[in-house]
Amino acid sequence: MKFIDKTTIQTDKILTELDLFVLDFISILERYADYVIISGYISILFGRSKATEDVDIFIRKIDFTTFTNLYAALQKKGYWCLNAEQPKDVYNYLADGLAVRFARKKETIPNFEVKFAVTSLAQESFHDKLLVKTAKGDLFISSLERQIAFKRYYLKSEKDLEDAKHIEEIFKEKIDIKKIEVYKRMIEHE
Amino acid sequence: MNKLKPGRTNAEERMNFVEYWAEYVRTHPDEDWSKQQKMLIDSQLQNARKSSLSAKKYLKMKGELRK
Repeated sequence: MKFIDKTTIQTDKILTELDLFVLDFISILERYADYVIISGYISILFGRSKATEDVDIFIRKIDFTTFTNLYAALQKKGYWCLNAEQPKDVYNYLADGLAVRFARKKETIPNFEVKFAVTSLAQESFHDKLLVKTAKGDLFISSLERQIAFKRYYLKSEKDLEDAKHIEEIFKEKIDIKKIEVYKRMIEHE
Repeated sequence: MNKLKPGRTNAEERMNFVEYWAEYVRTHPDEDWSKQQKMLIDSQLQNARKSSLSAKKYLKMKGELRK
């Protein structure tokens, strides 16, 4: 696992079922919306020894027509929304700033927790996203410094502090400590 | 590679393991650590699938059940 340029990480890991679930969902989503994966899954992608029930993701706001096409494509590929059935209802939740969850049909876990990026912090996470290249596809994730700051200074649970520590240890020669401090101040003022 | 430090509390014990495992991941080939990670994660997901948790129960548990 290494940076191959400033914004790209290459991993040769043997992919887990969770990784394959993420890559499959993303291969559909990316045709309709810009996205960035945030939070717990990032530490798992980079080796943390735990699973997660959900994968958090921000998408840039899309219009209802585009969403309807995305929803149809997800259904066609075997996904369902846990929160509502009709695309209009699902879209309204998103437009209200709420998260909606998608899983494979007849399943609840694992699921994708999808949210429109509405806050300035969420929107900024698209500006310095990283590309992660795996053997079976690529993913965009939020910057490592953002993840560490968000987990350490906003979420702050034991699990989140551990996730932050894991990312910091894995990439300790690449992490910009000053950036973490900047994000910390942004989080405090959000 | 450093040895795993025992912790005085559960939280310290867990954090020490996080550090220990991160060093293992950093200093070993991806194939090595990911084989171990895959065993753990795949079995946890398989168990979760077997539990057949309904969406309603799950969303209630998460405090996200909306009418």
